[in-house]
Amino acid sequence: MSLVLPEPAAGAGRATVETYDARAVRALRWLRWRRFRNTLGGMVADSRLRAAMITFCSAVFWTGLFLLFLGSFHFIAGYIDLANTLVEYLFSMFFLSLLAMLLFSNGIIVHAALFRSPESTYLLTTPVSTDRIFAHKLVEAVTFSSWAFFLLGSPMLVAYGLTIQATPTSEAGAPLAFYLLSIVFLLVFIVIPASLGAIVALVVANVFPKREKSVLALAIVSGLAAAGYVGWRLWSAPGETLSGDWLGGVLDRLAFCQNPLWPSRWMSAGLMAAARGEWRPTAYYLMLLSSHAGLAYLVAAVLARDLYRRGYGRVQGGRSSRKRRGFRLMDAAFHRLFFFLPNPIRLLILKDLRTFLRDSTQWSQFLIFFGLLAFYFLNIPRLGYGAQSPYWRNLVSFLNLSVTALILSTFTSRFIFPQLSLEGRNFWALGLLPARRDQILWGKFAFSAGISLISTEFLVVLSDLMLRLNPWMIVLHVGMIAVLCLGLSGISVGLGARLPNLRESDPSKIAAGFGGTFNLLVSLVFIFTVVTALAVPCHLYFAGQDFPESARVVLSRGDLRFWLTAAVLASLALGAAATIIPLRIGIKAFNRMEF
Amino acid sequence: MIELRGVGKSFGSKRAVDGLDLTVRPGELYAFLGPNGAGKTTTIKMICGLLAPSFGEVLVGGHPAGSEPARRLLGYVPDQPFLYDKLTGREFLRFIVEMYGVDRAEGSERIEEMIATFEMDDFVDDLCEGYSQGMKQRVVFASALVHGPKVLVVDEPLVGLDPRSARIVKNLFVSQARSGATVLMSIHLLGIAEELADVIGIVDQGKMLAVGTLAELRTQSRHDGSLEDLFLKLTDHDGPRAVAAAARARSEATP
Repeated sequence: MSLVLPEPAAGAGRATVETYDARAVRALRWLRWRRFRNTLGGMVADSRLRAAMITFCSAVFWTGLFLLFLGSFHFIAGYIDLANTLVEYLFSMFFLSLLAMLLFSNGIIVHAALFRSPESTYLLTTPVSTDRIFAHKLVEAVTFSSWAFFLLGSPMLVAYGLTIQATPTSEAGAPLAFYLLSIVFLLVFIVIPASLGAIVALVVANVFPKREKSVLALAIVSGLAAAGYVGWRLWSAPGETLSGDWLGGVLDRLAFCQNPLWPSRWMSAGLMAAARGEWRPTAYYLMLLSSHAGLAYLVAAVLARDLYRRGYGRVQGGRSSRKRRGFRLMDAAFHRLFFFLPNPIRLLILKDLRTFLRDSTQWSQFLIFFGLLAFYFLNIPRLGYGAQSPYWRNLVSFLNLSVTALILSTFTSRFIFPQLSLEGRNFWALGLLPARRDQILWGKFAFSAGISLISTEFLVVLSDLMLRLNPWMIVLHVGMIAVLCLGLSGISVGLGARLPNLRESDPSKIAAGFGGTFNLLVSLVFIFTVVTALAVPCHLYFAGQDFPESARVVLSRGDLRFWLTAAVLASLALGAAATIIPLRIGIKAFNRMEF
Repeated sequence: MIELRGVGKSFGSKRAVDGLDLTVRPGELYAFLGPNGAGKTTTIKMICGLLAPSFGEVLVGGHPAGSEPARRLLGYVPDQPFLYDKLTGREFLRFIVEMYGVDRAEGSERIEEMIATFEMDDFVDDLCEGYSQGMKQRVVFASALVHGPKVLVVDEPLVGLDPRSARIVKNLFVSQARSGATVLMSIHLLGIAEELADVIGIVDQGKMLAVGTLAELRTQSRHDGSLEDLFLKLTDHDGPRAVAAAARARSEATP
């Protein structure tokens, strides 16, 4: 029947009662609901393990945060005279930081959603008005960027509500309405940075359509400079830590967060009033927040109505005419330096290296995180850690090493794990290469391990030198971080091959998916195990040096030698297992993979 | 119904479309041909309102391209079709019907008609994420037609379609044109253009080189060979631009 010419539509009938706009709005709302329902249904039906893992991890994370906040609020409540002031500052700083972070994340996500997504291209060809498309994409972007805000903010507010002290006019604990109002406050608050981020995204697309990355880099540098300045002012607060003078100095330096023009200040004042059952100021601050959120959204919507299409055209327009350098010198030097590796592996490493150097999100994040760490390590003498007792220096050195390894694990999870998935539709090209498939994975492993080793070894040695540790400890740490680098690279490459997501082209979504989350968890467990095995004997030994009275539970030099040798051997075995087992699993899966 | 008057589009210093004149009348099936990078997709994006012209005027049904009335008349099948992975094909069609404000009862009938026409019964209730390229293409065609567009713009229509589906699509183009719709298709398959098109326009480096029926093009270029030979002769950068002037004259003569 289909091969017969169909009768053409004699002009589609149109709705007469409802306006087109109302139908389009309803259609977009229906679309969001349907996609959510189908995604959830698919997850429950096909990925129960993943859904259970996400729920479990979220619950553990929420509970951990809740307990942390509960303990902190109980501690603060001990300072009876200062408790309210401290909480006010804490809330103001917390929400101000979130305001800045949400502004950044929403700006980036809204920009991608409005100007780079295929859905936007499609919707712009339909009769829906541009401000409706903008609203639809903003809802998606805000949901995606702000869910973590709820995960972070809700345990804090619940813990705060539970630790409210009794007063002559009220009982202990916040009224039930506080918890409900907290949700309203959070929802209204999110609209402000989301709308401001959207305004920035629209302006950047219209004014700097081909310079988004430069604008982003400038914003990141400015944000880091501002955060660094505040951090430096706090570090330089006079007086002994936790003394009255010190606390006064710290609050004085944080006074900027109490400026009555900050939405974060309205948020904290409103929430604290609600927790005390003071409904008039609660309503006042809620209205203040709501009116500004409404205004911010209105400005964003008007800008979108007038500038979205224009900006879209400017962002989409044309290809970059910039010629890429050939990296000939780097290639030649690399081939000479690693002559002992098989040629296919060298070529694959060079391919990944070139991608890394040309992808500014990769190298910029790498540089920012490791640059900040190097800056901190270089400032260790200024902070006075180098002059502390061996016990403290040992403790700080292990903490520094742990932070370095944790940051490395986020790098391997975010950039190394998704590498094989990103080959996606080009997978057949890898499969047809005149190289054994295991060589492809070994190439990726060598690339990851090489970059990791170069950066982390430098940082760990720098930290230890600044802490003036003895050479044996430096050697121990150098060995430890090498084990961690190899293990983390093996885990990310192996699991990346075993759990690829070939449908997704966005590496952040691959990293945030089941495979990426699993990879991060395995990496964290690996780091925790290796660091604990080696840090505990050292810690117990140095604790004995500083606190001889507790000699019964601490280690002597002889004990240290024995336990440390055992811990080193165990770590080496664990490191070898973490490197080889995931790689073998990955190679096996990769060899079986059909293209 | 589609009218471009002296349209140009520049990206920085590069001019993708340069003073293009193009008219597609109601009931006409227009094949838009040109080598890679000739400016076809840029032109189509301007007709759909995705890009604004740097100069000149683009009208769809007498309305400026990109305006709400122009978009309401339009059905667009892009070269890289878009579907929502987490919707079924039927849900996507229902979404389109709502977006275009088609009467619900009539919309339901149209959806069923499209499902039957494109033979989608077997998969239309599965999520789009599991579709093959051909299945996706069929749903995209159905979505472009389900709201009864007066103007159909198609960029590379037959990519990924099997011969049977390709035949259905070709028939649909003809039936749409015969029913009074305006159909513009950009295509690299010259045999299809030769078989279906009422009017053929050949563009290169952003300029219209030749436009007319196949017979007119042959006369203009003094070339009796196939459309392929004609196309290669016209787009050979070292060869003479024999009919460029004639093409401009024809476009200017149209009301």
